[in-house]
Amino acid sequence: MKLRAVGKSFKRIEGSTKVSGKAVYTADVGLPGLVWGKVLRSPVPHARIVRIEASKAKQVPGVLAVLTGADLPDVLTGIQLKDIPLLARDRVRFVGERVAVVVAEDPDVAEEALMQIQVEYQELPAVFDPLLAIGDGAPLLHDSYHTYKGVPRPLPNLRNVQSHVHWSLGDVGQGFRESDYIFEHEFQTQYVHQGYLEPHAAVVAMDHAGRVQLWATTKVPYLLKQEVARVVGLDPAKILVNLVPVGGDFGGKSSILDGPLCFYLAEHTRMPVKMVMSYAEELTAGSPRHPSVITIKTGVKKDGRLVAREIKIYWNGGAYAGMKPPPLVNLPGARRAAGSYRIPHVKIDAYSVYTNCVPCGYFRAPGHPQVTFAVESQMDIIAEELGVDRLEMRLLNALRDGDPLPDDSSLTRVRCRELLQAVAGASDWYRPKSRPYFGRGLALSHRSVGIGDANAQLTLSEDGSVSLLTTYPDTGTGAHTVMCQIVAEVLGIPFERVRLEVGSTDSFRSESGIGASRVTHVLGHAAFQAASRMRVALQDQAAGMLQCAAEEIDLQGGHCCRRGHPKQMVSFSDLARGASARAQPIEVQSYMNATQVPSEGSFSAAVAEVEVDVETGQTHLLRLTTAHDVGTVLNPLAHQGQIEGGVIQGMGYALMEELIGEEGRITTANLGEYKLPNIKDIPRLKTVLVKDEVGPTPFQGKEIGESPIVPVAAAIANAVYDAIGVRIMDLPVTAEKVYGALRVKGGLVGKTRLRI
Amino acid sequence: MAQLASKCKIKVRVNGVDCEHEVEPRLLLVYYIRDVLGLTGTHIGCDTSSCGACTVILNDLAVKSCTVLAARADAGEILSIEGLADGEQLHPIQEGFWHCHGLQCGYCTPGMVLAAYQLLRRNPDPTEQEIRRGIHGNLCRCTGYQHIVEAIQYAAKKMAIGK
Repeated sequence: MKLRAVGKSFKRIEGSTKVSGKAVYTADVGLPGLVWGKVLRSPVPHARIVRIEASKAKQVPGVLAVLTGADLPDVLTGIQLKDIPLLARDRVRFVGERVAVVVAEDPDVAEEALMQIQVEYQELPAVFDPLLAIGDGAPLLHDSYHTYKGVPRPLPNLRNVQSHVHWSLGDVGQGFRESDYIFEHEFQTQYVHQGYLEPHAAVVAMDHAGRVQLWATTKVPYLLKQEVARVVGLDPAKILVNLVPVGGDFGGKSSILDGPLCFYLAEHTRMPVKMVMSYAEELTAGSPRHPSVITIKTGVKKDGRLVAREIKIYWNGGAYAGMKPPPLVNLPGARRAAGSYRIPHVKIDAYSVYTNCVPCGYFRAPGHPQVTFAVESQMDIIAEELGVDRLEMRLLNALRDGDPLPDDSSLTRVRCRELLQAVAGASDWYRPKSRPYFGRGLALSHRSVGIGDANAQLTLSEDGSVSLLTTYPDTGTGAHTVMCQIVAEVLGIPFERVRLEVGSTDSFRSESGIGASRVTHVLGHAAFQAASRMRVALQDQAAGMLQCAAEEIDLQGGHCCRRGHPKQMVSFSDLARGASARAQPIEVQSYMNATQVPSEGSFSAAVAEVEVDVETGQTHLLRLTTAHDVGTVLNPLAHQGQIEGGVIQGMGYALMEELIGEEGRITTANLGEYKLPNIKDIPRLKTVLVKDEVGPTPFQGKEIGESPIVPVAAAIANAVYDAIGVRIMDLPVTAEKVYGALRVKGGLVGKTRLRI
Repeated sequence: MAQLASKCKIKVRVNGVDCEHEVEPRLLLVYYIRDVLGLTGTHIGCDTSSCGACTVILNDLAVKSCTVLAARADAGEILSIEGLADGEQLHPIQEGFWHCHGLQCGYCTPGMVLAAYQLLRRNPDPTEQEIRRGIHGNLCRCTGYQHIVEAIQYAAKKMAIGK
């Protein structure tokens, strides 16, 4: 079937507001009488708060209020595990924890007042390394852990552990006994920040009807509404979250952060309050990607066949677990820690650990680039030891349809081999190297679309156009445009005849919001269903008017036409007018609740080509070729944008991005020191799309939001080894590490301890 | 507490409109544009002049307004993103960014568009390398930059035809 609206690169529907500066982001929201909130943060990683003296701060002219933990209810918040106090009450657990908040007439006055607040801390022993935190001698960071709402059950039984997930297949003991060789290695990864350019912000105002209106940099408005209501003790019906475009998310904008504080300031002052994080606050006290220590033990046969794999992962969860996803309070990437391979015996244990470091959250494919770095690096190590070609070893072990996976699932439409061959072909994998210090590296990974729920409402207007109402915010992915394409396709109308309306939390009861690569699948199906129902309604009404059966009606270009009777047709606008006249507008609602993860996997493979400057250790990424397992591509340019944005984030993760900490304090506090990839850093990018006819989303699409980032760092690290024979086993692969490793060249570089 | 310096008067032509205000000497240009003039299309990202989201054209020069004092703009002329379109007609650079998917979340876009504006004024027919060099003061986290390059190439072509 030829598609007319789906599969085309329509321009983003919100594009003109974004290029003209008219788009209103949270920090742009202006209200009469707006005042500003600023947070005082702990300078120490672990301490009792002995005393907070705020009287001087309250006297600064222009200050309206200063609040501390004692002024707020003793409530803990979080996405699933609720362990985060709104403001620290008697104890701080990380450098950057919120201790007090000031509201003032302007942000400079608020900053001035912060400096006048005196806090006496009695420092406590702190622990920064997750491996030390689980030891008996480590300070216990959350004595009341077992009383927290949302703790995973059964309770983990190790000291300072937030959660523990376990996945397994077969019997690894037996697998290792059957192996010819066993390899064991440890890998580490670093803190990275999502790097969205828009810092977190929130605006709260009480309106005339006594409701609380919120604007926030959130991709989960209903979660924000429900959590704020719960925490402040209000009926959720009294809270309205207005949706605004979000200036970049990548996972980082799912926590409620300053929403409740903003509410208390607004309630206290009876004025609208705005809070905007500085970028330094983002980098030092945001919700970065979890650093990890991963031990991977693999048993293989002489010919390279994988027999058993045991993986232990320690995520440095930071001082609080409240920013981790439901239901397990652990990272979904853990379930894929064995890689995209058929292995009969697997055991995965992933621990998220409390430490006195910044609490971590989600970043594009949580947990997944970390485990892929470990797995794919080790695949190369094993291949070399066995004298097996790296690509051949992956082809030998690649997953096939129906292979059981450690998380009790199995995949269909598995395209590993096709993808590996595609990426190898596109990157000239076998071409002889033409210069020294040049290397190629390969990596493979897989994901699937996410599940969740979504609402959609379609209304037919009297001019024959259709309006789609959604409360999934715009975080820049282009999803809103894709939804309009889906509706246009089902109703047979031009794309331009579909308008999208962004609602508020008053529009529907609730829904998951953005994340887990669910939007095209879940919201897409909601939009598809709504459009299908409207199609049926239009066919029925037209059939009534044309005195025929509904099955005889085709929808073409905004008209309902009786098949075989060219003159018998009625336009959408006539149907809409007729419906209006009867006071029964044509409006359809739908609700999609996807509870089963579809079995179609989405695979991604990357080949990195690098050249290493052996005098400085600097790695130059020359070209990145990626192959993606796709179904129908609903909007090619938007799809390509997700790929390029994701692989460049992967490049940053591999080579240049690191939030560096010392004794729990992050010292890379601005974008001059935390290096985001710049346009001059970008290598040549080559994309290969391996198309399948079947996919889980409407019109057979697959996942693309998160998979591109996953294999990139591993491919680059493997390429560096291929170039110069040194393997960096902790990310990022910096010039300093490579330079140092070249000095002790001889294979594997010793483990570098986590610096935080 | 330090005595705040008395305010100073500035006269600036912003997007073709004459403006006159009394501002504190320490007021940054980005806050003048956003909070005093109400033009919120210029965004604040990193606040340490690394990201370029705050880029505006001041006296024909692209500047990062988070690192320029408002008082410095006195007797000068500013072009912010809101002034680029001609009424409802988008500038070719804006069109290029929209058409070529040179934007996703849009937060870097106003600054990126104005950096491109300066680039194309100085060099109406840039090579791809020249485009990359001309934009390297602006960060984008969403796009991976390739579509931004294409957007600027589109604009350069369209502007050449327009001449």
